[in-house]
Amino acid sequence: MALTVSEVLPVAARTRRQIWSVGGGKGGIGKSLIAASVGWQLARMGRRVVLVDADLGGANLHTCLGLPPPPRTLADFIQRRVSSIEEVLSDTPAGGLSLISGAADLLSAANIKHLQKVRVMNQVRALDVDVVLIDLGAGTSYNILDFFLLSDVSILAVVPEPTSIENGYRFIKSALYRRLRAAAPNERIRDLVLAALDPKNPEGIRTPLDLLARVEAEDPEAARALRRELAGFQPRFVLNEVRDVGDIAIGHQLVAACSRHLGLKASYAGYIHHDDTVWQAVRRRRLFMSDAPTSRAAEEVRQLTRGLVKGESLGSGY
Amino acid sequence: MAPATDVLPGEKGGDLYAVLGLEPRASREQVERAYRSCLELYGEGSLATYTLVDPAEAEQERVRLREAYEVLVDDDKRRAYDEGRGFLPPDASVLPFPVAAPDASETELPAVLTGADLRKIREARGLSLRHIATVTKIGKRFLEYIEEDRFDFLPAPVYLRGFLQEYARLVGIDPRKAADAYMSRLEPGSSTR
Repeated sequence: MALTVSEVLPVAARTRRQIWSVGGGKGGIGKSLIAASVGWQLARMGRRVVLVDADLGGANLHTCLGLPPPPRTLADFIQRRVSSIEEVLSDTPAGGLSLISGAADLLSAANIKHLQKVRVMNQVRALDVDVVLIDLGAGTSYNILDFFLLSDVSILAVVPEPTSIENGYRFIKSALYRRLRAAAPNERIRDLVLAALDPKNPEGIRTPLDLLARVEAEDPEAARALRRELAGFQPRFVLNEVRDVGDIAIGHQLVAACSRHLGLKASYAGYIHHDDTVWQAVRRRRLFMSDAPTSRAAEEVRQLTRGLVKGESLGSGY
Repeated sequence: MAPATDVLPGEKGGDLYAVLGLEPRASREQVERAYRSCLELYGEGSLATYTLVDPAEAEQERVRLREAYEVLVDDDKRRAYDEGRGFLPPDASVLPFPVAAPDASETELPAVLTGADLRKIREARGLSLRHIATVTKIGKRFLEYIEEDRFDFLPAPVYLRGFLQEYARLVGIDPRKAADAYMSRLEPGSSTR
């Protein structure tokens, strides 16, 4: 069952605290490094930030930050070995930035139950910080999609390679259809949304826009509800490991393709060049933001983060 | 009927501007840039669309794009189309600030223009980068890269030329000459991209 906003937080708790998440479907595209470096930069900009490593099966955010495996992890909280989420917070070398580590040792945690998820989400929301930045794991499991959907800023990491872009679209579609299904007012509309998930469905629904047209014909009231969900879902692309201007332009094309074929108002938050200094810092188990602050990648992360804070994106160029 | 604010991107396929992802009153340069960019989007092997459309659909899209472009790039056809649809013609007078005087395009340009030269001309006209970014819809960051001569960060020459022409038009210098003078400093091989 998808989490709904009202289930997760009481109205009074909706402060200016923001939840940001980094997803992308595919592994090895730099989600953790993006989360770590953007979090680091946010802290540099004076925000109080908690990084949450929600990659419960393959947690490594601590390594990105140059830390040893923390003594307590999210698993301790999920298994109720500690009662509050504050007890699993670790400090980092950067002032204002702390970390909640994932559970490298606990495979089953990747399939936490619905109520546990609500408990995690509520406590994460209640943390006394400015930004909670969640590094989602690879894949499109419901837990990952729900964290992504509940974020104020949903960052979608891709690298300019077919496999990553394919998974990126799959991630967006899975998240979107999950959101639409949760908003469907009745069984018939839910069935239509489910049918749309199968690309060869007999209804001939191939895109979210097809689905919307179909629902519109049957149930205009339901169509309005789905339309609101579509309009409210605005993933922000970050293109990682770009090598030339042709790669940079792909970000604009992804935004255009989302608009033209998925009915989504995505945006292009920024890009990070392939940069050997990043890799060298990773080898030394240091974060390039502090290890190589003058590198091109570090400058691009600073620009990217400033843009995300202001809600700005790269213009389409026409 | 749903109010207009409910229209989602991708749905407003009704007019030729929307086919190119533009608003009515788009400038000629915007039409050119949008067309080139959309063609690339549906080009063979396009990373951004190959999982969303099959080759036949990509071809259909290219046909639609060409049909829209052929009307919008032709002054007479575009005027007739705009009138038929009740769209206002492209007009610089709606800009939120005064544009440079038309005779400014007579300014003698040096054969080589640097980013710093462009900035001087712009500042002499009292125009901020933000204004230029707003009107041309070119990302402010790219405009900064142009003025800072950060060639590594600039887009492919085909886009750069469009950006430079738009910039030049707004600050009131000859668009074609300005683009040539700026781009004369790029490596010759790179202009084939």
